[in-house]
Amino acid sequence: MKSRADSEEDQTPALFSERPEWSDVVTVPQYETDTPIAPILYSPEYQDASDYFRAIVKSQEHSERVLDLTEHLIRLNPAHYTAWQYRYETLLALSSPFETELELMNELAVKYLKTYQVWHHRRLLITHLRTPQPELKFIERCLQVDSKNYHTWSYRQWLLSHFVDNEDLWRDELDFVENAIGDDVRNNSAWHHRHFVVFGCGVRPGDEDRARVARRELTFTKQTISLAPNNLSAWNYLRGVLDTMKLPYSLLTQFVKPYTVPLDPKRIDIVDLENPPPPPGAQLPCVHAIEMLADIHEQAGDKDNILQAVELWKSLANEHDTMRVKYWEHRIRDALNSR
Amino acid sequence: MSTQQPTQRRQAKRTPIDEYPSLTSRTQQETETILSEHGIINGEPTLQKNAHLQFLARNMIQGFPARYVSQDASQPWLLFWTLQSFSALQVGLDPGNRQRAIDKILAWQHPNGGFSGGPGQSPHLLPTYAAVCAMAIAGRPGPGGGWDQIDRPKLYEFFMSLKQPDGSFRVAEHMEVDVRGIYCLLVTAVLLNIMTPELVEGTATFLASCQTYEGGFSSASHPFYSVETDRVLRSPKPNLGEAHGGYTFCALASWVVLQSYLNLEPPPASSIGPNSQWGTEFTTERPRVDLKRLTRWLANMQGSEVELGGFRGRTNKLVDGCYSWWCGGAFSLLEALGIGGLQNLTSKDVEIDEIVDAAKEAGASKEEHHDGWDDIDESLFNRKALQEYIILAGQHPAGGLRDKPPKSADSYHTLYCLSGLSAAQHHIYPSHARKADTLKTWKDDESPYNTLRKAVFADVISWTEEDGTAKVIGPAATNRLNATHPLTNLTITHTEGIMKHFYGQEIPSRPFIKPMGTKRESK
Repeated sequence: MKSRADSEEDQTPALFSERPEWSDVVTVPQYETDTPIAPILYSPEYQDASDYFRAIVKSQEHSERVLDLTEHLIRLNPAHYTAWQYRYETLLALSSPFETELELMNELAVKYLKTYQVWHHRRLLITHLRTPQPELKFIERCLQVDSKNYHTWSYRQWLLSHFVDNEDLWRDELDFVENAIGDDVRNNSAWHHRHFVVFGCGVRPGDEDRARVARRELTFTKQTISLAPNNLSAWNYLRGVLDTMKLPYSLLTQFVKPYTVPLDPKRIDIVDLENPPPPPGAQLPCVHAIEMLADIHEQAGDKDNILQAVELWKSLANEHDTMRVKYWEHRIRDALNSR
Repeated sequence: MSTQQPTQRRQAKRTPIDEYPSLTSRTQQETETILSEHGIINGEPTLQKNAHLQFLARNMIQGFPARYVSQDASQPWLLFWTLQSFSALQVGLDPGNRQRAIDKILAWQHPNGGFSGGPGQSPHLLPTYAAVCAMAIAGRPGPGGGWDQIDRPKLYEFFMSLKQPDGSFRVAEHMEVDVRGIYCLLVTAVLLNIMTPELVEGTATFLASCQTYEGGFSSASHPFYSVETDRVLRSPKPNLGEAHGGYTFCALASWVVLQSYLNLEPPPASSIGPNSQWGTEFTTERPRVDLKRLTRWLANMQGSEVELGGFRGRTNKLVDGCYSWWCGGAFSLLEALGIGGLQNLTSKDVEIDEIVDAAKEAGASKEEHHDGWDDIDESLFNRKALQEYIILAGQHPAGGLRDKPPKSADSYHTLYCLSGLSAAQHHIYPSHARKADTLKTWKDDESPYNTLRKAVFADVISWTEEDGTAKVIGPAATNRLNATHPLTNLTITHTEGIMKHFYGQEIPSRPFIKPMGTKRESK
């Protein structure tokens, strides 16, 4: 039933069908028909490994050689969730050391950063091992390869949530995320992580003074906006701080206004740490600042303010952000309607 | 419809980088350079239907090239993406290939319930959705037809076995929790009529906890448990991952489906425990999503003119054709929640519109206000620009659609670009009138869950196309696609066909839906 493949290059591993230690297994082909619709044209190596894997699942064998087989299959297709699942069950059945498994994962995770399974498997291992600390460095290495990888960031957030009371684990997290934002101020994953660190898991020890936390976060974000004003990630975070802490948008009026008009070359900078001005290279007016100012007016709620908001939304719809004309019209209707 | 030939576009404004470059702005600039080259065309923007049909037929008949081995655990997806792409392109399957598709789907059904990524693999929520949707397209009632060979009681048991105390579901045994799995589970339960209050209790609360400060949804949230009662705390429930287009679509569509459950009388109790140390007592409070923030986030995902109006999936990431559906398709879903669309407009809104429009004309501002696009289009995204992105940048010259140039085409992007194009062409909304008609024709059944199933049925069947609102750029006869149901991403015909069967109910006729192309229905 197997197509005995012409032997490929010497370094490729032998097919399982050529290994004497597997000769007792009767392989299970995938389909009963030779001509299924929409087939995948498998390599002989993959076909061989998956034929043996189906046989093992069928016989429910959990043994050392199953670890070989699943590793082989995972290297050929890291998204093969059943191979991962079956491997995990085999590790449990054999009481196989998870430390060894984690070493293997250190290699595979970097290779297959974009698959769900490598990250989930790692969660299962760390849940058993309860060794979160070295994970931080490992994650940092992965982020150097791909600084916005969704799985990597959610894994870090899972780790910090799962070991939420581990103060050693949490100690340098704010510094870590500050560096990540410093590396690329537009990295939204890093901004989201900051929100997670500051607000996600309840009040951290040392952060009990919420007014101080609010000041720290607002100052940090405004400083970052003053480096590169047209950065939606930072504006979203700024809104997030106010929304999460239920603070009025009007706290930002003074800060926002200079960003809503063309850069004035003759302006004189006054050092004001609360309201850092736009940098000389800023491309103004900034759409996000106009939007923020409109929302400040809308939140104030009286008729004059609403009308000022409407004027700003119109300028976005007709001039500064024409792609979203329908959305800005919706905002205008919404604001006028709720009055 | 505009008859004028699009010519060279005017130089669109680049995304400002404020003389402060970073990794993000560098990749953004590279992408903008490539996209602006694709924005220059001679003649009308045209969907290369034949090339795409050949791409799909090649995969289906000859097979997928070896690099698709990465999809070996997603075989139902490969089939669903292919079959639904054909449906969007108004092409039906011949009876022989239909039967081969049915037989293949049944080979994925697991003896313990649910469908697997391939024969001999474990059942999993994602391939279950894909298999059932593929079956909605290819299958039929009766022996060998596939529909009646789906083991619904076992499927329900499989679903329940994955349920977690916080209302979420694992995607498979030992596997991760995320909102994709919930979407896949709910759509399957809706289509096959196996929804119960027990199945979805607490799920809406979980979904709401996945909304991030930006407004979109993350993959999941992390539950904390009360030490005293071992119950899930109301908060904190930190998001795992940032707001993301794919997860947002799944969470929002799930949220819309669950309105049928949340609106039940008397209101269903929340499964979330009281007396949390973090939050206030919480038992019957209805979970909430911040729709204003969600709408803002979705609107912000549409790229600018220099990005040809494509959608991105996260703030400050690159546009990608697949988000045409995950983000572009989400605006219809908002209408079910009262946001956007003609049906949600009040008479006061209409007055306001007149004032705004008058101001606009007086300002003599922008082009394109007189080509008939704005008069009746109350969608909150730019439908015309999204069509341009897909047609100008999303098509691979050799057939199939893609993320962006110069990438190659694949099955996944082919479907989600086509679904997004369809969502940009057709305005599908949940009609109150059609819902009322559906409720009127409902025949009560013996099920203890009659009330919930009736509500679910009427809510899903209520989606309909607003007459005369289709907007197709380029040559309409060529570019026009079939309309897609915003919840299932099947055609409305296929959604209604399989539901009619499994609910044993009549579906009110549709006065103004246009014929579905060349499809040959076998029954």
